[in-house]
Amino acid sequence: MKKLLITLNVNGRDVEFACAPNQTLLDALRLDLRLTGSKRGCDDSSCGACTVEIDGEPMLACTLLAAACEGQRILTVEGIAEHGALAAIQKAYGEWGGAQCGFCTPGFMIAVHSLLEQNPDPSEEEIRAALSGNLCRCTGYNQMYQAVKAAIEAEKAGRRAL
Amino acid sequence: MNEFSVIGKPVALVDSAGKTTGQGKYTDDLSMPGMLIGKILHSPLPHARIVGIDASRALALDGVVAVAVGADAPNKYGILPVGHDETALAVDKVRYVGDNVACVVAESEAIAEKALELVDVRYEPLPAWFDPEDSMRAETDLLHEQRPHNIEKEYHHAFGDPAAGFAQADTVIEGRYIANEVTHAAMEPHSTLAAFEIDPQTGRPGRLTVWSSTQVPYYLQHKLSIVLEMPMSQIRVIKPLVGGGFGGKSEVIPLEIIAAVAAREARAPVKITYTREEVFWAHRGRPRTIVDLKTGVTRDGKITAVAAKVIQDGGAYCSYGVVTILYAGALLGGALYQIPNFQYDGYRVLTNKPACGAMRGHGTVNVRFAFEAQLDEAAQRIGMDPVEIRRRNLLVPPCVTVNGLRVGSYGLPECIARVAERSGWSERKGKLPRGRGLGIACSHYVSGAANSIIRSDMPHSTVNIKIDRDGGVVVYTGASDIGQGSDTMVAQIAAETLGCSLGRVRVVAADTDLTPIDIGSYSSRVTFMNGNATLRAAQAVKRQIAEAAAKRMNSTPEDVIMRGDRVWNHGAYGDEGPGAVEETATIAASGRVEGQILRGSVQQKRAEECPKDRMTFEEAVVAAIDFHGALGGSGSYAPPVEARGGHYKGSGVGPSPAYSYSAQVAEVSVDEETGVVTVHKIWAAHDCGRALNPVAVEGQVIGSVWMGLGQALEEELVWKDGLLMNPGLLEYRSPSAAESPEIECIIVESVDPEGPFGAKEASEGSLAAAIPAIANAIHDAVGIRLREAPFTPERVLAALRAQRPEAKKVRLAGNVDPARPATFREHGGSLCHGGRGPARHPLDPAVRRKSAAGSASKREDDAR
Amino acid sequence: MSLPEFQLRRPKTLAEAVSLLAQTDGIVQVIAGGTDLIPSMRQRLFAPSELVDLRGVTELRGIRQSAEGLEIGALTPLAEIDRNEIIRRDYPVLAEAAHAVASPVLRNMGTIGGNICLDTRCLWYNQSLAWRKSCGYCIKKDGDLCHVAPGGTECWAVFAGDTPPALLVLDAEIEIAGCDATRRVRLADFYTNQGDTRMKLGSREILTRVFLPRSTRGWRGAYRKLRVRGSIDYPLAGVAVALRMRNGVVENAKAAITALNPAPLLVSGIEEQLAGKTLTAVLAETVGALAANTARPLTTSALTPEYRREMVRVMAKRALVEVASCGSR
Repeated sequence: MKKLLITLNVNGRDVEFACAPNQTLLDALRLDLRLTGSKRGCDDSSCGACTVEIDGEPMLACTLLAAACEGQRILTVEGIAEHGALAAIQKAYGEWGGAQCGFCTPGFMIAVHSLLEQNPDPSEEEIRAALSGNLCRCTGYNQMYQAVKAAIEAEKAGRRAL
Repeated sequence: MNEFSVIGKPVALVDSAGKTTGQGKYTDDLSMPGMLIGKILHSPLPHARIVGIDASRALALDGVVAVAVGADAPNKYGILPVGHDETALAVDKVRYVGDNVACVVAESEAIAEKALELVDVRYEPLPAWFDPEDSMRAETDLLHEQRPHNIEKEYHHAFGDPAAGFAQADTVIEGRYIANEVTHAAMEPHSTLAAFEIDPQTGRPGRLTVWSSTQVPYYLQHKLSIVLEMPMSQIRVIKPLVGGGFGGKSEVIPLEIIAAVAAREARAPVKITYTREEVFWAHRGRPRTIVDLKTGVTRDGKITAVAAKVIQDGGAYCSYGVVTILYAGALLGGALYQIPNFQYDGYRVLTNKPACGAMRGHGTVNVRFAFEAQLDEAAQRIGMDPVEIRRRNLLVPPCVTVNGLRVGSYGLPECIARVAERSGWSERKGKLPRGRGLGIACSHYVSGAANSIIRSDMPHSTVNIKIDRDGGVVVYTGASDIGQGSDTMVAQIAAETLGCSLGRVRVVAADTDLTPIDIGSYSSRVTFMNGNATLRAAQAVKRQIAEAAAKRMNSTPEDVIMRGDRVWNHGAYGDEGPGAVEETATIAASGRVEGQILRGSVQQKRAEECPKDRMTFEEAVVAAIDFHGALGGSGSYAPPVEARGGHYKGSGVGPSPAYSYSAQVAEVSVDEETGVVTVHKIWAAHDCGRALNPVAVEGQVIGSVWMGLGQALEEELVWKDGLLMNPGLLEYRSPSAAESPEIECIIVESVDPEGPFGAKEASEGSLAAAIPAIANAIHDAVGIRLREAPFTPERVLAALRAQRPEAKKVRLAGNVDPARPATFREHGGSLCHGGRGPARHPLDPAVRRKSAAGSASKREDDAR
Repeated sequence: MSLPEFQLRRPKTLAEAVSLLAQTDGIVQVIAGGTDLIPSMRQRLFAPSELVDLRGVTELRGIRQSAEGLEIGALTPLAEIDRNEIIRRDYPVLAEAAHAVASPVLRNMGTIGGNICLDTRCLWYNQSLAWRKSCGYCIKKDGDLCHVAPGGTECWAVFAGDTPPALLVLDAEIEIAGCDATRRVRLADFYTNQGDTRMKLGSREILTRVFLPRSTRGWRGAYRKLRVRGSIDYPLAGVAVALRMRNGVVENAKAAITALNPAPLLVSGIEEQLAGKTLTAVLAETVGALAANTARPLTTSALTPEYRREMVRVMAKRALVEVASCGSR
């Protein structure tokens, strides 16, 4: 199978590499670009551990073909941190127990990041709905809600300080 | 001022940043030069003799490097010394659909998958056994020749005088309870990377390094040694981050052995990562369990006797089975309530399905469901409040139960009081509108097994600590953090004991070359045992520092106080200590707020003030290193002899140095037209001795309760003639955020006299109570007693309709009433029909059932 | 699990897509959101030699009002339909059904066209190649057995899309483009009600647009979905109802069911039962019974057929009562 030479824009950088037409975006990220933050948890597009942002919308990297993502902006968990420091949501997930084993966490980081980009002050229901496409087996989700709320408060405080 | 600086403070897990940034590495994230990919060929038949394997077509495929088969590594192994019945790959026969037949090693996953299709295996089908009650009657075609009637193990225990106990009872309640099979479904599929190094002396492959998603690196090292016939010293097992275990990684899983065998055959590093379907085949989850339970109570609510017959459908291999069936008995009689007379008949049965093993709440969950549901029924029968009947049967510790369990700290009474108060039990119970209800249940669990799997006098945990000249503390622990936070627990105990801030402590964990032996993360043993070992190691180092510091301050080691990164002579601590400690304690706990390392500024500030009767931590460390040379210490833990249980056969399982306790109230509503159960809230009070890290304890308790909720309402492995119908996360439904309720965790601290800083387990004990709490709440809401879990809407509706003779019945497969379950049920449809279909043996149930059912009908959905 | 090998085509326009399809030899498959197709390809349920990815055909994306009603491009993501103000106001049953699909992340990917063309599902079919081998395969793929209707010669896999029943009650039409011509059909005539063939769409054709007529604009409606989890799941049964009322009297009404038969089906006899009447509990029961009688569930999913049929009865009844009682327009 002939490989295609493609360019992906990942976390703000253009990366050119050879990619088989049947390569998923998840495999391209993990194997070719060595961005192993996005995880493979299922094989049936149900778990959300591979969630990345494509042009600002959360999508499943395991369900996209890498070659079909040319020309789009891809944000992975590795691109969430701000200036080498933890983003508010990353810090809050640590402090509030939002991450236990951490395997689902990259997917949740993207899901929450997208939520807060689109809606900086979501209601409890909106938070719950935004998280409902990602499975977690450790936390029962309860502490994640606290983390998201803490991150929102931290962002608000940060904005006030500016 | 607080009693502690680090202990009891909510701190972020020390590895949390790696998890939220994606930088943390799990096994499948690792790769190395020349690494190949292994893929396993699985059996399509539930029971068959392997007549021949021809891999020549596969080997001829471009990019295929090797094909490993059973004969390449025929030594038997198993997690239990009494259960060595597995081989890396099937040697003579396969025992379940999904059993491991061959492993293809190739340059890529795609090539390996293609090659799997080219491995030709000839099978001779054998009759298979799927229903444990059938399997127990087997005379021929046994799964393992050495196990007559396919019974892996049976136990018959009687404590006190059960017959007399039942005679004293005013009322005796009997019932059959069935809990269907559930699995861990940890988010990370298992993965193993195995690589041999060339031995410089012999020029041949020598030492083996294995990176694996395991809860038990040392057992893996041990089993690899058995199968590969290599000394343990030549094998290094490293546990990277593990994406959840829940018991599913608490024994040696086939791919871990297969990867090493494949690496040996391929002469290259090999990584195998399971597909999600393979995770379901590897399984080792909670077995389907039949509990025939009988409870006798007096009119005033005292339990006089309990008798249980328990059958566990263990699947094709022993796994942890012997331990599971013993836990079911030991913790049913248990250290929860006062049960003076107790009879137990337990059967662990082999069937042609993936092996069951240990899963969170190991052995206790399904029997606890039966017991707590029956106790609720008993309370109703004698007209007593369900909270009150539980209060009437409390233990009076310290004590030893009839089955030999030693009970010390016992926070159950407070747990019950707290959940009753928080849930508004006395004001609301029985007063909610029809369709809405409250239910209570309790549970408990071991803080580690007092006897290890492999009996020896070896400590269960050993920890080493070294301190560098600038005050950096490194803790070497074998404890395997699988997300529960053990690395953080170890760091906190070391920091608290040494009086330094958490940011100084680095934890090196779970690497058999570097870290002393800890037997693994299972049976909730790590905080109690590895925590105690860490405490002792830290105390050993602290003694050395205190001696050196005492010399400097013209004091005695006993008068040296170490806290908050400072060291005082006793008197000086008196005048300035508390205030200073408050300040530094903030720094110590500030991992949560400001990042964990503020060392530079703190050091400078301290250097400016330097009186004789106080020192900085670094100064004291330097003094100790100057005095002793290297500064290090070691500590280990073995459970006390008095906690190791009785002297009857099987008495080794159940005893623990301490037990955790949980009481829960669930509030549910039931839609009587659809059978849908909505859980609105669960209040869970958990006695964890002392909460070393409250945020982590809450996370563990909530996670346990939530997992119990999944088993109560949604999760179930669905079978048809040995085929798992739902081997994926789409059809095996662990709850999503959308329907997961609020769970309020109430921490109860009984401060155990032997636990590190009083701590006991927090990660498993709360799971079991969730299921009966929900069952009892459903009864409170709509008056049905569900005796089969999970309480899916169709089961609930079937039970509701069964209550009302005039209503149209909801026919479940097998026509069983979930309020009176009789047998195991299977999925509808038909596997083999009209002599067509897969090549099963004529006596296989799939074929037999068909001929019994007669000619094919258009709609034979529930043929059983 | 890797994907089978294929050539990837990425047309930018519909014309290009259609001509690509016409030129291509071998097994060709069109992909839109991929949320169902990609996992199915992993399981080797589809192994096309050519994959035509429509994600770049932007002309097929978007929602437009037109003289005849509303036009929805087939590539419009379900999330966009869920939050579109016009659809929420004028065709609320569709917004509700779109909202019920899977999970937020999957709704960002999945398209309305993909949901209409969704492959039928069965526990004996949606499994890996190795799994299907162990059951002797099935009539829908690689074999000749039907495990849910033993001895049967038809496939009973169920259509499990959420939006088609809503589109059916709104009397939607769809536009299909082929290399020679473009045709327009009523959605109700699109499905075959057979699990294997499932729909009347040639392998060289593309579903391009969905039309909602003015006649059902403003109809009140509701979609009810039987699922175990509150998110992610495909429906185990689903029912859409829509009606127009005046002064408390039903003028028109329709109901359609999904996830119970090999096709989403309009429930016949609803209009006759309801038109000109005030809704009563007895009438709602009757409608529920009609919906249940239309359902032919088999053991294609984990919940039993009996329960699923019972639930479509309850859901149809409840949806109707709710729609009729929430203020008249």
